[in-house]
Amino acid sequence: MTPVLEARGLCKTYAADDAPVRAVDGLDLTVEAGEAVSVMGPSGCGKSTMLHLLGGLERPDGGEILLDGTRVDRRSEAAWAVLRRRSIGFVFQAFNLVDELTAAENVELPARLAGATPRRARARAAELLERLGVAARSGHLPDRLSGGERQRVAVARALVNEPRVILADEPTGNLDSRATGEILRVFDDLRGMGQSLLVVTHDARVASTADVLLTMRDGAITGQTRLDGPRTAGGVASLADLGGT
Amino acid sequence: MAARVAPWLAWRNVRHRPAHAALLLLTLTLATSTLGVGMWLYGSADGPWDRAWARTDGFHVQALAYRNRDDPRRDADLAEARAAMDALAADPDVVAVGGPWTHLYGLLEFEGGTEDLTAEVRPAGVSPVDHPLVTAGAWLDDGDPGVVLEQGLAEAMHAGPGDTLRLQGRDVPVRGVAMTVSRGRFPLTRPAHVWITPATAAELRDLGMTEEGMELAVRLADPDDAEKVAGRHPASVEGMFVETWRQRRADSHSDVDILAGTVFAAGILVGVLAIATAAVIVAGRMAAHARQTGTLKAVGALPRQVVAVLLVEHLALAAIATVVGLAVARAIAPPLARSSLTLLGAPEPPPLSWARVAIVGGVAAGAVVVATLRPALRAARRSTLRSLASGARPPRRRGRLAGLADRAGAPLPAVLGLRSAWRRPSRLVSNAAGLTLAVAMVVVAVALRASLDRLATDPPEAGRTLSARADAVLYDRVTLIVLATAGVLILLGGVNAAVVASFAARDSARAHATFRALGATPRQTVATLVVSQMGACALALAAGIPLGLGLWQLMDGGDLPPVPVPAGAVAGVAVVVPAVFAAVASVPGWRRARRPAGLDLGGD
Repeated sequence: MTPVLEARGLCKTYAADDAPVRAVDGLDLTVEAGEAVSVMGPSGCGKSTMLHLLGGLERPDGGEILLDGTRVDRRSEAAWAVLRRRSIGFVFQAFNLVDELTAAENVELPARLAGATPRRARARAAELLERLGVAARSGHLPDRLSGGERQRVAVARALVNEPRVILADEPTGNLDSRATGEILRVFDDLRGMGQSLLVVTHDARVASTADVLLTMRDGAITGQTRLDGPRTAGGVASLADLGGT
Repeated sequence: MAARVAPWLAWRNVRHRPAHAALLLLTLTLATSTLGVGMWLYGSADGPWDRAWARTDGFHVQALAYRNRDDPRRDADLAEARAAMDALAADPDVVAVGGPWTHLYGLLEFEGGTEDLTAEVRPAGVSPVDHPLVTAGAWLDDGDPGVVLEQGLAEAMHAGPGDTLRLQGRDVPVRGVAMTVSRGRFPLTRPAHVWITPATAAELRDLGMTEEGMELAVRLADPDDAEKVAGRHPASVEGMFVETWRQRRADSHSDVDILAGTVFAAGILVGVLAIATAAVIVAGRMAAHARQTGTLKAVGALPRQVVAVLLVEHLALAAIATVVGLAVARAIAPPLARSSLTLLGAPEPPPLSWARVAIVGGVAAGAVVVATLRPALRAARRSTLRSLASGARPPRRRGRLAGLADRAGAPLPAVLGLRSAWRRPSRLVSNAAGLTLAVAMVVVAVALRASLDRLATDPPEAGRTLSARADAVLYDRVTLIVLATAGVLILLGGVNAAVVASFAARDSARAHATFRALGATPRQTVATLVVSQMGACALALAAGIPLGLGLWQLMDGGDLPPVPVPAGAVAGVAVVVPAVFAAVASVPGWRRARRPAGLDLGGD
């Protein structure tokens, strides 16, 4: 079966005052359809850069990115924009909800960008907000939402166009433990629904919801563990030793 | 914080953001140099006038009498005026008398048209008062029928000694060219003026020239007594005027004064716009430096010391702008003054005085203080924690206009742009204020151009063939100044728009990177940014066009033909200004869009 998302020998170097910094250094990674993959690693090891490269938010210096078997890393910015609308959903640590839009409008936004009619986008947003338990807050601006609510809205926004894969960057990094629990349940549900996921995290509990756990260091994948058996939102005890904070 | 810390931090700020400092310096320098030019022009014609006055033994008090040619009481009034002039000549303070000299009225024929002309009848020889200074050829001679032309008339006709003048249908030779302070220069002073001998006058009377008045010029023991003496001999009949040398000097170079006044007014406008520009830059700086402000307060700085850092920085820039502006003005003013039609020689800018420095420096300092104080005080009063967490306050309400636009089916980038259009209201108002002045000035320039076009196509009035041409030259100069002012204001308005847009692009960088992460193209994010900035342009058009039309209404009562402002031109302004504004505002948007979105989204 063709992987949903694949990276081969991905490289990214940033210019710095003293010496160039290799943020991503020959990274190989595969996300199969319906598979949840989590990536753990210390701060500064290049996890966010990797997600940005895979989502076309930054350009790699070398290597290949394949989406559904098609090489996409050389596409133009506008072509990447279309890809993101249709095939990639993003969830960020800082939520990145648009301050001026209500929760529902934030969720509608990618659908509207993808060409959905306002009515259809509204209906889809309402359905997702209901499913994620924040329907009652749909008319509120982000400033009036709690951290957990904001992240659930962000997840709904990532799902609205039924993407092939969701790329999540520290989705619980700005949340307290209660809100983290809410998001863990959401990700567990997504995995249960067969949604392909690539989650970068420091949190072992989040990592434990995945099918595959990758460890990353100095810009490259240094370890891979397949997590078998049923898991819960509480996570797998043995993962607590993997460095999550 | 020690007193030296504020200048040190201010200097560090300037070095850290040299573009902002340079922009503020440029804006302030435009204002100070324009004001400086206006001030140096004003009075630059006094020196040459004083020289001519001294060399011609110019009058201290002058009496003139003119009668309407169709008035039946003409002869009686002139007799009464002559008696009044005799009384003036007999005043005990008078030490020398010139005249009374008879003035004849006639027509000068020139290139198919005519120009009203006064011929002043003078005996040959040197008058003890007001003997015109011959600049070419020779003075009147009893044995020569030639006339002497007033210098302004000679220059307008491109005539000189040896040429002939067609007066009352007869060719009269030109004997010389001379300047005087007893009247202003042609064509701004009309009718045209020549000096003739009594013998020539008799011939011209036979050809139909008529006596229209007379002139008496006296010198006093003390020139400062001129007002007192003139007060003792007021004009006693209609058409008689008694003037002092000071009054004549003030009235003698109206074009330089108009030029100075126009440039000075332009300087004030540019100064006002400089406030808007400075406010925009300062507000942006405050947003960027909110963290520094918070840090300063965290380490123990008082709010007033935080304000002092900004004020020191901007007042230093205002001081530099004052020095540079005055130097630029000093270089520009003399060539501008030389274009005058009334100068009696090379212009002499008045010496630099502390008062002039204070006015120019005061405008520059005032602009930065007004622009700096409010945002600086706000930053100083803001809690330290809030300063450390910089960024615009999130909105508390949904934008109604954006909602309406969405329901009306507006494109998504436009709706998103409208959502954030009012996020920084003070920046929007500053931006709009600057642009409003520019739009108003463009409307005035368009109206002025239309009025002058009408003037150019209208045939000149009878007896004004020559002077009408000079009027056109003068109007062209005023138009040039108005256009130049409009250009400077537009430039500054554009700078404001670019600065505000760059700050807005920086503020919205994360939001726009998020749009891109969700599938928006760079073009869509740029469109969002541009729409968010167009509010200032809409406000500027809504206020600037009526303001420009109002200003034109005020100006319309002058010498210019009353013409309505062309609707097409105003419509053009309403189309071109937003288009240019959008193009300017899009530049920082495109610069941001070229950056990888990931850089603005954060993460490790």
